[in-house]
Amino acid sequence: MRALPEGYVEARLIDPFELYVGPVFARGDAGARTYAFRVDERHVNARSGVHGGMLLTFADCALGQAVWDATDNAPSVTLNMQGHFLKPARLGALVEVAPELTHKTRGFVFARGIFTADGEPVMSATSLWKLFLPR
Amino acid sequence: MSDTSAPPPGGTPIPTTIGFNVFVGPIYQFDDEGDTSRFGFVAETRHMNSAGAVHGGMLMTIADVAMTRTARASVGGRRCTTVSLNCDFIAAAKEGETVMARVRITRRTRSLVFLTTDVMAGDRLALSATGIWKILDVEPAQ
Repeated sequence: MRALPEGYVEARLIDPFELYVGPVFARGDAGARTYAFRVDERHVNARSGVHGGMLLTFADCALGQAVWDATDNAPSVTLNMQGHFLKPARLGALVEVAPELTHKTRGFVFARGIFTADGEPVMSATSLWKLFLPR
Repeated sequence: MSDTSAPPPGGTPIPTTIGFNVFVGPIYQFDDEGDTSRFGFVAETRHMNSAGAVHGGMLMTIADVAMTRTARASVGGRRCTTVSLNCDFIAAAKEGETVMARVRITRRTRSLVFLTTDVMAGDRLALSATGIWKILDVEPAQ
């Protein structure tokens, strides 16, 4: 499942947990990147759908990368993450998101995304990030 | 690396043989405390982020697993699936700590279970979550 999806490169991740559940793929330029992972046997629940914990982990990773790109790599932490689970994503599917930054202030970034599996929406997520900018 | 060869005191591994629960686990269930069911894991290096805290994805995962299993146990083992999960990240959990999700059911209807969870790292509240689960095998209306 390490084969690169067409048009993607492997995202450069540093968090041990993201490296453990990955690889995660990226395409496009900073500020307008799309992220993806391929659902494999490690990611599923007993019904062969992707585990909610994996989708939320991917959301934290992909939306966090978009926040990082939008803030000149400012340190940040997730304050809130909400996932609405629309339908199951199946084993073998390519899960993708093009993160959208809803709003940015000095201290916060609001980010959201519609996550698709082979093009079908499977999760909608909204998130709030706290920035740690130099004073 | 932290030593996780022994389960945390009082923990029994959840019965699961495939997929994400095995991959990120072992995940343990602990005895209920009153109306609160409890599930946890011991934070290892692989669960961490680059800032030295347990990754938010793993905290959301233990909340999701604990809430799914609590919902299912409350409806006689019928299958339940997450519709909505909302998580506030309150404080960091550290490597080596036992991270414990404490779950209560807020309300149950014929087709839905509403739950709330405190994910604790030691004595600290690390993550606060609420969620809505759908009961997949709904009993026919009488």
